[in-house]
Amino acid sequence: MRSIWAVATNTIKQVLRMKVALVFIILLMVLLPVMGVSMTGDGTLKGRLQTFVSYGLSLTSLLLCLLTIIISIYSLTSDIDQRQIYTVVTKPIRRFQILLGKLLGVILLDVALLVLFSAVIYAITIYTPEFSNAPEAERIQVANEFYTARAGLTPAEVDVSQEVNDKYTELEESGQLDQVFQGMSRGEIIAQLTNQRKLAKRAAGVGYQLLWEFDNVKPLDPNENLFIRFKYDVAVNPPDLQVYSRWLAGDYRQIKYGTKIETRIYSFDRKDPVRTFREIEVPADAVAKDGYLAVGFLNVHLNNTAVIFPLEDGLEVLYRADTFTGNFIRAVLLILFRLIFLACLGLLASTFLSFPVAILLCLVLFFTASLSGFVSESFNYLSANLSVLYSYTIKLIIRLLPQFDKFNPTKFLVPARLLSWYFLAECAAFMVCIKALLLLFVALLIFSYREIAKIII
Amino acid sequence: MEYAVETFSLTKIFSDWWGRAKVYAVEDLNLQVRYNEVFGLLGPNGSGKTTTLKLLLGLLYPTKGRALCLGGDGADPKISARIGFLPEESYLYMYLNARETLDFYGRLFGLSAKVRKMRIEALLDMVGLKAVANRPVGTFSKGMARRIGLAQALINDPDLLVLDEPTTGLDPIGTRQIKDLILKLAKRGKTVLLCSHLLADVEDVCDRIAILYGGKIQAEGQVRNLLQQTNRRQITTGAISDTAMEKIKQIAQNENADFEVTSPMDKLETFFIKTVATAQLQAQPTSGAVSTTKIGGFLVPETAAENILDKLVSAPVSPDTAWETPATEQVVPVESSEPKPDEELLSKLTEPVKPSQSEPVIRKVEAEPVESQEPQQEQIKKNILDQLTGRSTHQSEDTEQTDKSQAGDSSDA
Repeated sequence: MRSIWAVATNTIKQVLRMKVALVFIILLMVLLPVMGVSMTGDGTLKGRLQTFVSYGLSLTSLLLCLLTIIISIYSLTSDIDQRQIYTVVTKPIRRFQILLGKLLGVILLDVALLVLFSAVIYAITIYTPEFSNAPEAERIQVANEFYTARAGLTPAEVDVSQEVNDKYTELEESGQLDQVFQGMSRGEIIAQLTNQRKLAKRAAGVGYQLLWEFDNVKPLDPNENLFIRFKYDVAVNPPDLQVYSRWLAGDYRQIKYGTKIETRIYSFDRKDPVRTFREIEVPADAVAKDGYLAVGFLNVHLNNTAVIFPLEDGLEVLYRADTFTGNFIRAVLLILFRLIFLACLGLLASTFLSFPVAILLCLVLFFTASLSGFVSESFNYLSANLSVLYSYTIKLIIRLLPQFDKFNPTKFLVPARLLSWYFLAECAAFMVCIKALLLLFVALLIFSYREIAKIII
Repeated sequence: MEYAVETFSLTKIFSDWWGRAKVYAVEDLNLQVRYNEVFGLLGPNGSGKTTTLKLLLGLLYPTKGRALCLGGDGADPKISARIGFLPEESYLYMYLNARETLDFYGRLFGLSAKVRKMRIEALLDMVGLKAVANRPVGTFSKGMARRIGLAQALINDPDLLVLDEPTTGLDPIGTRQIKDLILKLAKRGKTVLLCSHLLADVEDVCDRIAILYGGKIQAEGQVRNLLQQTNRRQITTGAISDTAMEKIKQIAQNENADFEVTSPMDKLETFFIKTVATAQLQAQPTSGAVSTTKIGGFLVPETAAENILDKLVSAPVSPDTAWETPATEQVVPVESSEPKPDEELLSKLTEPVKPSQSEPVIRKVEAEPVESQEPQQEQIKKNILDQLTGRSTHQSEDTEQTDKSQAGDSSDA
C-alpha cells in the first residue's frame, strides 16, 4: 500500500509539475465564470440557469475526460519512454502496484479538479438569482422548477398485444387486411395496430373519463405540492385552441371501495391550450399513506373534440423527491464514474501502445461512447442486412462501451429531474464495477507480463 | 546460496516482428559472482553487458536459461529490496528535486519517514549534492544526475549493487570518488556487479572480471592474475643517490636481468585532482557538484546491525546548508576549518591511488581462503593486510574528517 501511495503522489506531482493539467485548469477557471455572466438562455431566469448548468457541466465533463485520457496515458508511457520505469520496477514493488498507483493518482487528481470545478458551477448557479433583477414570479418559478429534484412517474404501459392479435385475426378472416393495409408486412401491420390501440387507451371522447393510477409516490415533504404535467393532443382543433377539463387527484380506492375518506381528493376545473406542456399543482396530501395516487381526467361537454395524451410525454406526475444540492452531487458523481472508466481505459492503452497511438485509440472510443445511443441505433437499423456477422462482432463491441449519453448528468439537472441513487448505482455497476474493472484487469495482465526494457543491444 | 549472482546458460534472443531470431544478445552465459566481490563485466559496445543486467533484474525475460540474484528471482520484491541498481543512464523524474527523488525511491522500499530523512541527508552529503538538493533534477548536468542515480541505488543499503557504466558522464574527480566508494562498499561486505567499457575503472576496482563479446564470455578471472607479468619486477623508491642506484643495478645485473631507471609519472587523473584541489583552496565559485569522499553512515556491514541506529543518528544532518542558493554554493566548511597545509591535503587526496589496487585482493583473504595463489604472494599480502588494518583502525575516524575533497564540475553544469 505504501508503494502504491508513493507512485500515486509521484503521478500527481508529475501531472502538475509537467503542466499537463494547467491548460485545462486555466481554461475552465476562465470559461466557467464568463459563461455564468454571459449566458442568457431564453431570457428568463430559468432559461439562463438551465443553459449555464447544462453548458458548464458538459464543458467540465468534456475537458476533464480529455484530461483524464491524456494524463493516464502520459503518466505511464512517459515513464516507459524515458525509462524512469527501470529504476521503479527494480525496486521491491509489484507491477500491479505501479499500475494501481498510477490509477489512484489520476483518480485523486480527477476528484480534486471535479470538486473544484463543480463547486464553482454550484456557487454560480446558486448565486445567480441574487445578482439578477428578475421579477418575483420568475424567482418562484425557478424555485419550483429548477432548484429542485423532481421524480417523474409515467403511467404504466398497457399490454395490448392480445387485443392486437385478436384484431389482426379478425381482419385476416374477414379478408379486410389487404384493403386496409395495402402491401404491408405482418410486422408492420402489427406495429401499426399496437400503436393505434395504445393511443386509444390514452384518448377520451367528449364526456368520457380517463384514470391513471400511480404507486410509490413519495414526496420529500408532505406539505409541498405535486405537479401533474400533461400535454393535450386533439382530433379536431377547437376554435380558440383551448381544451376545457376537470381533473381529479387523490386516493380513488376510497370511492371505489366506499371506505372512510382519509386523504383528500382534489378537483380542478381548467382551460388549457393544446399541444403545450402544462402543470397542475396538487397538494401532496392527496397521496395515500402507502404512496398511492390516482389521477382522473374528464373531457367535459364544453369541448367538441376527443382529447389524446401523446404516448411518450402526454402525462406525468412530478413531485419533489430531493433537493437541488443532492441532485447536483449525484450528477457530479456520474461524471466521476465516467472519469474512472476513462482512466482505466487510458492505462490499458498505455500498457501496450505508445503515447500518440494510445491517445488516438482512447479518443475514438471516448467519442463513440458519447454517441453510443446513436451508434447502436444506426447499427440496429442496418442490422437487417448484416445479421449474424453484425450481432456477434460490432454489437458486442458497442455493448462493451460505456453509455456516456445514457448516463448524462445534464439530462437530469436541466429539467430538474431526480437523478436517483438507484440510477447512480446502476451507472456505477455497469461503468465502473464491470467495464472499468475489466479494462483494469486486462491492463494488469499485460503490464505484469510484458518486458519493460526496450530492445537495446 | 553460494553465489550472489549466478546464471545458468542464460540466453536472450531478440526476434523481429515475424518471430524470427534476429540477434543473440546474450548466448549461453554462465556467470558466477561470489558474495563480497567486485565483479566487472567488460566488453565493447553491444556485447550484451546491459542486456545481462536487465535479465538479472527482470527488466527483460530470458529466452532460455535462468538468472539468480542473491539466490532468488531479481524481480521478486523480497530479493529486489536487497538490490541497488543504477541503470546505464540515470533515468530520473525531471520534475522532482534531488531530495524528493531520493524520498520517492525510499518510499518504494517502504522505509519509514525517519529512516528516509536520515539516509537522504547522508547520501546527499556523500554524493556532494546537498547544496543543490532543492533544484529539480531536470536542471542537473549529466554527472550530477549520475550522482543522484548512484544515491538512489544506495538508499536501501543494498547487499548487491548492480551498476551499469557507473562512471559515464562524471568528471575525473567524480570517477575517482565512485571508484573509492565501490571499494569502500566492498570492504563493508557488499557485492558489486558493474559493467563498463572504461578499462581503467574496472582495473582499479574489480576483483574479478569477465570479458563479453557477442553475448558470450571470452575471458574470465582475477584481474591480478590476468594482468600480472610474472617475469618482471618493479621497484619504486624515494629520491636515492646515484651510487645507491649503481648498487641496485649491479645486483640486478648479477641476476642477469635487464634494468631500467625512470622517474615515475603522475597519472593524469592524479594531476587533475591536484589542480582542482588547488582551485578549491582558492575558493573559486562553482555551481556544480561539491563532494566529500564520506560514505553514508548507514552503509555498514550486516554484522554490525545493532550499530545501524547509532550510525543513522550520527549521520550528518545540516539543514541550513541544504537551503543555500547556488550563488553561495562554494561553502568550504571542510577546508576552512582545516588548518592543515596544502601538501598534506594533496597527499591525502592522492593517497588512495596506490593501495586501491591491492585492496580487493586483501579482502579476498578476509572473505575466503585463497584458492590458487602461491604461498609467497600470500605472505606479502598478509603483510600489507596487517599494515592496512593496523592503520585503518586508528585512521578510520580521522579519514572521515580529513579525507575530503571538493569537486567543482562547473564545465559540466
